[in-house]
Amino acid sequence: MSTSKLFVDLTIAFRNLVQHRRRTLFLGAAISAVTALLVLLNGLSTGVRETMIDTATTLSTGHVNVGGFYKVTAGQAAPVVTDYKKVLAVVEKTVPEMAFAVHRGRGWAKLVSDTGSMQAGITGIDIRSEPKFSSVLQLESGKLDDLAQPGTILLFDNQAEKLGVKVGDALTISAPTTRGTNNTIDVRVVAIAHSLGLLSTWNCFIPIESLRALYQINQESTGVIQIMLNRKDFDHIPAIAARLRQALDQAGYRIMEPDPRAFWMKFQSVSREDWTGQKLDVTNWEDEISFMTWTLKALQGMSVVLIVILVAIIIIGIMNTMWIAIRERTREIGTLRAIGMHRREVLWMFLLESLMLGLGATIGGVLAGAAIAAGLNAAHLPVPTGLQFFLMSPHLHLSVHGSLMVRSVVLITFITGLAAFYPSLKAARLRPVVAMSHFG
Amino acid sequence: MKKQTIAALLAAFALNLLPGPAPIRRAQAALTSAQLVELLKLVDDRQKNNGDWRAAAYLEQKEKDKVDTVYETEYFRRSSDQKFMILFTKPKSSAGQGYLRIDKNLWFYDPSVGKWERRTERERIGGTNSRRSDFDESRLAEEYDPSDEGEEKLGAYTAQKLMLKGKPGQDLAFPVIRIWIDKENKNVLKRQEFALSGRLLRTSYYPKWKKIYSPSKKGDTWYPEEIRFYDEVEKANQTLVMIKSVDPNPLPQNLFTKAWLESKSR
Repeated sequence: MSTSKLFVDLTIAFRNLVQHRRRTLFLGAAISAVTALLVLLNGLSTGVRETMIDTATTLSTGHVNVGGFYKVTAGQAAPVVTDYKKVLAVVEKTVPEMAFAVHRGRGWAKLVSDTGSMQAGITGIDIRSEPKFSSVLQLESGKLDDLAQPGTILLFDNQAEKLGVKVGDALTISAPTTRGTNNTIDVRVVAIAHSLGLLSTWNCFIPIESLRALYQINQESTGVIQIMLNRKDFDHIPAIAARLRQALDQAGYRIMEPDPRAFWMKFQSVSREDWTGQKLDVTNWEDEISFMTWTLKALQGMSVVLIVILVAIIIIGIMNTMWIAIRERTREIGTLRAIGMHRREVLWMFLLESLMLGLGATIGGVLAGAAIAAGLNAAHLPVPTGLQFFLMSPHLHLSVHGSLMVRSVVLITFITGLAAFYPSLKAARLRPVVAMSHFG
Repeated sequence: MKKQTIAALLAAFALNLLPGPAPIRRAQAALTSAQLVELLKLVDDRQKNNGDWRAAAYLEQKEKDKVDTVYETEYFRRSSDQKFMILFTKPKSSAGQGYLRIDKNLWFYDPSVGKWERRTERERIGGTNSRRSDFDESRLAEEYDPSDEGEEKLGAYTAQKLMLKGKPGQDLAFPVIRIWIDKENKNVLKRQEFALSGRLLRTSYYPKWKKIYSPSKKGDTWYPEEIRFYDEVEKANQTLVMIKSVDPNPLPQNLFTKAWLESKSR
């Protein structure tokens, strides 16, 4: 088909669409609305996923982690990696994709204030080597930099409220050491951050030196090495974890079997096992927050159901409209066939009209969806407290990427063409004599 | 002073164990290390049974802003191989649960899930402030090095006060203990247990001691009929343990097994 012929066909299709202005506008608006909704749904799902990754990989996990347990006796497991610098050397050699790595202490202890107490996960960090930490946390009061001083603690607002403390107040942290001896440390609250949902409910931060003092572990030991990757490598996380597991095994470390659960969910099974000494555990971010990824899966499942319903509506709408158009234009089809137009040209003409309508409407819909998403993001819409728990963000965040926009345009345009195919085929099969004598 | 602290003090006063207002320390020659170790051995020996032991224990836990929890248990121990077992009998929701010490492992059984979990030796029994060691035979001389802190009046009693520091290599829940021993009968009257950091974690009072004739020891064995634990970190929390129905006669050989404990909930 020559370019000039295609141009003529496009012109005819365009004119036909203009000719049936009302129908075109109605159907175009419907397709645009569905496309915009598709973009918004996907944007919400992607936004929640990205927020979840960002928050989780700042608060409690790396994209890939090398953690593990040290057992002094068979029944006493501590989340400790001994001689972590040697492990880190293997990690650096094996994972060239690594953007950076941090090491953190892990623990579970009782926080006691003058007016209350609570059990909480204690993370020991070196705030000076945590480049992303300040970008995720929103401080309610205090200074994050003060967490560099020993004997300090960062709490989240819900924890501070439960304990009845504010910045400057003292807390006692009580926990058994790795050998089971009771110990305490006194800490001062230096910062209180806004809650970040489920992960911040049971997690608080102290300097790693204070955590070592509490659990009586030496300078060469840590809780976990968290490996951070660049976004482009996110799809390769399982392969990187497998590679790392193999490299650590070859370097002589005992490795735990892959188990897609958070480290604290493994205490029972690890305690039941009979070994003593060190075993390393390689996990990824999804494993470490496996107890809450169901929210993401539920959201994605809901999006898929909604998208299927929307696509069904588009298909029914387009087919219905095409049937009406063909019925209205039966005599026109008969005339065109009588003056020599081939069946496939009739098919092509109707298909081209649908595709042109689909393309124009989806582009409009995608742009509208992206604009609404940008507006919602700019408005910093607060999320209800109950929902914050799962979304891990105080604000609604939609993430609309270019690839998503292109995918939406292609998908909906294709569906439009597909829906128009059968009615167009029926139109092309009309016999000229019958078509020309059609009334109504 | 807070309400809870006042309550604890009143309780201790009622038990006649508070330091008296009059001379707290009497002038006396400090005991030598050997004498202190002998004293600890005597304390241990009075409580040793050298055989099997069965008793019922009533546990009552009070915590701030929580409903009081009460457990009734039976506990069993065998001196020869340091076996130990606790079976919860009440309330209904906990009946059948239990702890079993085999070798150096403490196992917990929950019949509602039918699973055994290995727990640390320093497990809080039923979530109360009591530990397994509180029900076990006293091993102070084996586990701690004593130092003398002189005499002190505890109400009507004159007590020898010792500071005990954990021996190297011993895995102890409390690395430092201060203990008040009745000068007259060598029973423990009061204990203060400290964290590694030096912070006082728990104070225990032993207001009532009883003796029972033990055929395996061929002599009297002393046991505390009542123990009161006061949490010194969370001041409002306290635990009362009452020990009764003590039976020092030999127990069946197959008692200290997982199967026996499981059978109790079938």
